[in-house]
Amino acid sequence: MAHRRTSGSKLFMTVLCMVAACNAVPITELLDRASQRSDKLHSLSTTLTQELDSHFPPIGWMIMPRPSMCHTSSLQTPNDKEQALQVSESDLLSLARSLLKSWVDPLLVLSTSVNTLPHPAQSSISNKIQELQENSKSLGDGLDILSGKMGPAAQTVSLLPYSGGNDIGQDRISKLTNFHFLLSCFRRDSHKIDSFLKVLRCRAAKLQPEMC
Amino acid sequence: MKKVMDTALLLLLLFFTVHANRTHYRPPGKPTRARCRSPEKETFTCWWEPGSDGGLPTTYALYYRKENSDTVYECPDYHTAGENSCFFNKNDTSIWINYNITVVATNALGSTFSDPVDIDVVYIVKPNPPEKVTVTVMEDKGWPFLRVSWEPPHKADTRSGWITLIYELRVTLEGEDDWEMHLAGQQKLFNIFSLRSGGTYLVQVRCRPDHGFWSEWSSTSYIKVPDYFHREKSVWILITVFSAFIFLILTWLLHMNSHSLKHCILPPVPGPKIKGFDNQLLKNGKSEEVFHAMVVSDFPPVTTSNYEDLLVEYLEVYVPEEQKLILEESKYLHKLEGSTSDNDSGQGSLESHTLLMDKREETKEEERLTGQEGSQTGMGPQRHQKDWDEEKPYAHEDIVSPAMSSGRVKTWPSVFSPLPQYSSGPKSQLSSLKIAKQHCLSDSLFSSYNAEPGHNTKKAIGPSWEFCFSNKQPQLQAHSDVNISSIGRNQAPVFRQSPAHQSTEYVEVLRVNEEDMVLLQPVVLGSSHGKGWPPTHQVEVYSKVKEVDSDNTVLLQKEVMDEEVDRCPCEDQEVNGATESCYTSSDITTTQKPAGCSHAAMPAQDEMVLAASGYVDTATMFTLPTY
Repeated sequence: MAHRRTSGSKLFMTVLCMVAACNAVPITELLDRASQRSDKLHSLSTTLTQELDSHFPPIGWMIMPRPSMCHTSSLQTPNDKEQALQVSESDLLSLARSLLKSWVDPLLVLSTSVNTLPHPAQSSISNKIQELQENSKSLGDGLDILSGKMGPAAQTVSLLPYSGGNDIGQDRISKLTNFHFLLSCFRRDSHKIDSFLKVLRCRAAKLQPEMC
Repeated sequence: MKKVMDTALLLLLLFFTVHANRTHYRPPGKPTRARCRSPEKETFTCWWEPGSDGGLPTTYALYYRKENSDTVYECPDYHTAGENSCFFNKNDTSIWINYNITVVATNALGSTFSDPVDIDVVYIVKPNPPEKVTVTVMEDKGWPFLRVSWEPPHKADTRSGWITLIYELRVTLEGEDDWEMHLAGQQKLFNIFSLRSGGTYLVQVRCRPDHGFWSEWSSTSYIKVPDYFHREKSVWILITVFSAFIFLILTWLLHMNSHSLKHCILPPVPGPKIKGFDNQLLKNGKSEEVFHAMVVSDFPPVTTSNYEDLLVEYLEVYVPEEQKLILEESKYLHKLEGSTSDNDSGQGSLESHTLLMDKREETKEEERLTGQEGSQTGMGPQRHQKDWDEEKPYAHEDIVSPAMSSGRVKTWPSVFSPLPQYSSGPKSQLSSLKIAKQHCLSDSLFSSYNAEPGHNTKKAIGPSWEFCFSNKQPQLQAHSDVNISSIGRNQAPVFRQSPAHQSTEYVEVLRVNEEDMVLLQPVVLGSSHGKGWPPTHQVEVYSKVKEVDSDNTVLLQKEVMDEEVDRCPCEDQEVNGATESCYTSSDITTTQKPAGCSHAAMPAQDEMVLAASGYVDTATMFTLPTY
């Protein structure tokens, strides 16, 4: 199994190099840009959660749903390094794209509900949510281009629908708790995307070790 | 099941705690500050702070639960990470999964749970510091810089991109507190410029995962920058060139103004502004000659009324033993032609030693001179006549008519030595010579006072008394009816140069013969010479030339002495080219007023005294026979 995966990855790399050679913008460059975008995305989300935690009611921790309750938890992703390094590039890209696409709707909900968020740093949070959306969108576009260059396997996207609806809660605690929960889910998923893309970047930049 | 067991355990512990109230033992305190860290996103470690142990041995346990399950796991490794720690190896580590960790302290009396901590491994990454930090000094176009290079911690897998590290380094000079921070990004190489020459630098590096915590600083690397003078060299070159330029300008300015500067710093010493003073002479070291040169003919300015003050009061002639007066006038005069004498003045001073030599040669020819005067004085007298002519105006003013002194006329010894047989009219010759000398002396005196331009007589009045004889024959016409006979060699007057305190012999002017020769005769004190000689007496009375009147007569004046003397205006005396300094008339006239003491030749002769006792009375002697 592993052996096959290794040979498959080698094949993929060969294809990648050939594809990269015929393109104006090399894939490594695209991957590097995507990695930077995803890095920015995750940093934003981390800042948001920390800001939200500053005035979070302790009781909210009690009723906080567990992280497995995230709508993207059904997506099978590697849980440790060995697993992650064995994933093919296309899968990695596919995973990244799937995750990213799944968050388009929830981010929309967040952006609408932040306006009524009973939080002192509401405006800042609102700005950051805005930024998140923009970043996520541009990253999605870039990944679509990338996937177009990386073969058909990278084109598959898993659908992960958001079932939370537009309402994040009625009372303050619920709102805050739900808001917080959504953001934490996003934070993790953005980290996954970032990690996958960086692994892809390092794999594609075999000739440029300084990138890793 | 586990829950039941836990609850049972808790109840048991509570029971024991209640029963143990009497004792001091207590259940353990709550472990606090549970924190976990992962160095490479593959393993992680948790630490906690134990609380009070309650006096009883307490054990600690860490339990954790993963987010997807309710299974409580205990820490697999309490030892690898040290005391109060729990190490999770790779198999136990899962990422993107929440861990719920609780630490329990347990002693005999009970257990205490710590606050649970939720962690996700990917969020607690804190790598180890970078390794193999190397700092080297490199050069870039003469300027040195530091090149720092390092490696990521060996545990962190950056090659696969599993972990992406960002580096940061800091630099400082040895001894300073301020660090200079540099963010190096993902590169493992960094250059530091703008170094201080000769300084020692400290460098440290740390790293951080893209979304994690900063590592600790690496161990300090010391590097010494060698001394370099590149920058300083250029500055020094600039300074050198600039200062050289300024120096050149200053030198040029100095050179331009050297003259005025010299005057400023070393003002010129004013030289002596003495008329007739010759600096060259002084430099040559001949002080005598310098002073001789200072004898200017018209200094001090003499007016007719003050001439008495300027005149030397006496003339003294000193004849040494070996030098005898040559009474043969003509011979001397002849010899004097070749003598070097100043031809630019009326002074006509003779060089005595020349005369001496000449005289020695001519000792045998003394007899012949008188007849040879006219023929032998060829060029000379004419030349000197000119001089005399030139000197006329001076002579009239300055020459004092000879005093009719009864004293002696002192003549210079050098002139008259060796004194040959002054055969022909020795007396007259003597007198004539004497007179001539006297005249000349006074002439020299006066002429020296004359500020005659160009006059530079080397003969001074002072130490060297020189007989003034010109080349021309000393034609002194003396009115004398007394024959001065030569006394003889041994009686030659002694000449001496300084008019003082030596035994002096005097020469008496006998007469002036028909050939215009002053005949002199040495006079011995106490002896009478010829008739008509006034007896000698101790008192020395001198004659001095008072003036030369319009008739080219030398008027001698005698100083008034204590003995009674006859006052008689001195006779006119003609000195014809006797010496250069003697004022001669163009024509040798011997016509004198005989015994014309009261002659009009002497205006304003207040002090004409005719000595009566043994001294030459020039006035009387100069009565010439009329030709």
